[in-house]
Amino acid sequence: MKIIACYSNKGGVGKTATSVNLAYSYAKAGYTVLLCDLDPQGASGFYLRVKPSKKLTDARFFEDVARFTKSIRASDFEGLDVLPANMTFRDFDVFLSRMRNKRSRLKKALVAAGSDYDVIILDCPPNFSTLSENIFKAADQIVVPVIPTTLSERTFDQLVSFFDAKKLPKNKLKAFFSMVQRRKTLHQDTMDVMKKLYRKRFLNSAIPFAADIERMGQNRAPVSVYAPRSAASAAYQSLYDEIENGVVSNT
Amino acid sequence: MPGNNSFFVIPGALDEVKFSKSFKGLTPKMNDAKPVQRFELLDCHDQSLRASGRVLIEAGGSLHLLKDGETISQRCKGKGKFAQNLPAGPVRDALADFPELRALMSVGAGQIENRAFAVLDDLQKTQVRGTVMTLYSDRGQVSLVAAQPLRGYDRAFQTVCEYLETTASGVTGVEPLFNAVFPDLTVYKAKPEIRIGTQEPSIEVATDIIRTYISVARQNEAGVIADIDTEFLHDYRVSLRRVRSVISLFKGVFSPEQTAELKRAFSDLMAPTGRVRDLDVYLLEKEDYFRLIPPQLHDGARAMFKQFEKERTQALVRLSRRFRSQAYDQQMTTLAKLFADPGNLQPGPNADRAAYEYACALIWKRYRKTCKLARSITPDTPDEDVHELRIDCKKLRYLMEFFAPLFDARAFKRIIKPLKKLQDNLGLFNDFSVQQEALHSFVQQHSNTQGRADAQLALSIGGLIAVLDQRQKAERDRVIANFQRFDSPDIRHLFRSLFHHKGD
Ligand SMILES: Nc1ncnc2c1ncn2[C@@H]1O[C@H](COP(=O)(O)OP(=O)(O)OP(=O)(O)O)[C@@H](O)[C@H]1O
Ligand SMILES: [Mg+2]
Repeated sequence: MKIIACYSNKGGVGKTATSVNLAYSYAKAGYTVLLCDLDPQGASGFYLRVKPSKKLTDARFFEDVARFTKSIRASDFEGLDVLPANMTFRDFDVFLSRMRNKRSRLKKALVAAGSDYDVIILDCPPNFSTLSENIFKAADQIVVPVIPTTLSERTFDQLVSFFDAKKLPKNKLKAFFSMVQRRKTLHQDTMDVMKKLYRKRFLNSAIPFAADIERMGQNRAPVSVYAPRSAASAAYQSLYDEIENGVVSNT
Repeated sequence: MPGNNSFFVIPGALDEVKFSKSFKGLTPKMNDAKPVQRFELLDCHDQSLRASGRVLIEAGGSLHLLKDGETISQRCKGKGKFAQNLPAGPVRDALADFPELRALMSVGAGQIENRAFAVLDDLQKTQVRGTVMTLYSDRGQVSLVAAQPLRGYDRAFQTVCEYLETTASGVTGVEPLFNAVFPDLTVYKAKPEIRIGTQEPSIEVATDIIRTYISVARQNEAGVIADIDTEFLHDYRVSLRRVRSVISLFKGVFSPEQTAELKRAFSDLMAPTGRVRDLDVYLLEKEDYFRLIPPQLHDGARAMFKQFEKERTQALVRLSRRFRSQAYDQQMTTLAKLFADPGNLQPGPNADRAAYEYACALIWKRYRKTCKLARSITPDTPDEDVHELRIDCKKLRYLMEFFAPLFDARAFKRIIKPLKKLQDNLGLFNDFSVQQEALHSFVQQHSNTQGRADAQLALSIGGLIAVLDQRQKAERDRVIANFQRFDSPDIRHLFRSLFHHKGD
């Protein structure tokens, strides 16, 4: 079992879109996948038509393996299951801060309930918190969508500094450019600068800004399901290939 | 319980309109049907799959095995094949217990239609998946509905299963499928149950048994002609052998003239089948033969088996021609008619003896004769006596089998167990001896006028004969011990109490 987190300390950068499409790619490749929605907004579950779990409250998430396991739902896609979120997840931090070993609780819960899966993908809420420290500790890889703008550059700097300060392994960080608009010179310039600055942190694959991805909300399905031949679908596929197999495609 | 597929056999068609409107908050949606295909129902002649609650369907180049609400599929053809010779796969694995000597044959055919369905909630999320497999023949149809649970949606699964269970109205197992689609398919039984009354006149018992086995023999003719597997001819011969043993063992039931005439008639029926059966046996044991001799001697054995195969093909052509001939059909029909009514037969002095009393007398006498011979056997007794003992045991066994319905089944079981062991021993002793003779005469046939044979052939056969002779001796050495086990005080007591009554 390996754990991949889709994380950013900035909101609205494409974490959920990435989680859902990446999870689907893994399942298509034959892996058994659990997409774990840690964001109380429940966007991942929404995209896969899975209703929020009523009974899996924040405390139970960490302490009641049976309840955790029972709350897992099959998606409509072979090999892809979902653990839907609910509103109590917004109190994860309060809960965790009172615990002993408060930084390793997430890993423990995932191992206990999700060990049957080949891959667990975490769709994370955007902030620095005890939960995010748990995420950094639990994940084998942390996939970070970065929109190539000045503001995003700053938030990524903060993330790397946080890793430095806390002596966390930076090689877990796999950043990629998200919502890229190639015609914008600002995007191009930012990408050039950041790639130089963080040579080892950035994947080659990038996800373009695409109407097909925006339409996920109406279609409530992974992009490749309703737009299999789109550029967006191909981009997510190459992101998967690079993360899983280290295959770098030239796009 | 969720976690496993559930499977429902619904006679007729699934009412889709009703099905789609039966759930609150859930809507079953049927996918378009896949193109209708022809299917064949596969089983062996005695329908062992059906007897074990399984159904094997071949359609569109795939095999589908239905059992306990589960369908296992494998992409391969099965008709005419032996289960153990199918390509590796889940269906072959699931058929591991299928009789090794029986081929899969088509026992029925019809049309098959497959449709998938999904049970959707208000978000169009699938909560239960399923398939409807409809089988139909010109006699009727049946729907096999499978529902598959999805993780986290147990409640929906249960709801759908409850509905389907109600629709299936308690129907379980695979028999409803057979009743709906193949109502005329009868089950072949190599050893049908024959009822006997204790006071029934013995001539009626004899007639019932003979009539039954003539019919069993006839049910195997088509399979011999089609050369489906070797068990058809084997069963055919076993049936006729049973008939012959009734004629010869039920002494005095028919008049002496008729007895002689019937013996001749059934011997004549058996005779043309002997060669094919012998060759079948050699060919079935081919691999064992190769294991008996070192690889350097395999060339000659290969040549011999090639010859056997050729000869079998020719012998089978002759036998099939005979089975298809009008003369043969007429002969069998006449015999069947003769045994349709005991009144058609000439009674002998024992014709009216009551079955139970007659059985006791026959079995007791045969038992005493067998024991007398067996007790006389020492390491120095000639082989002929051991052969004689084999035949006596066989007769005893036949008598006990014919009259078994009149006696306590548990007591019979206790007797048969050591008897069978002794018989297996004697059977092997005989087989090894017959095989040596056969090999010997094979070399003679393939020798020139000076009595010289091909060296490769002679080497192999010489090797085989040497090993077979060793084996025959080993079997012989076991006979005395096996008889002593059969001759225990317990079995002696059983025989006495079952068959030997005071005043007899
Ligand atoms: N590559 C893209 N091109 C166009 N639109 C995108 C792209 N990726 C995401 N979006 C849209 O941007 C919005 C935010 O995306 P998403 O929800 O994936 O981000 P997020 O990082 O998970 O946000 P949050 O921090 O709120 O959880 C959504 O409406 C989504 O449809
Ligand atoms: Mg999100």
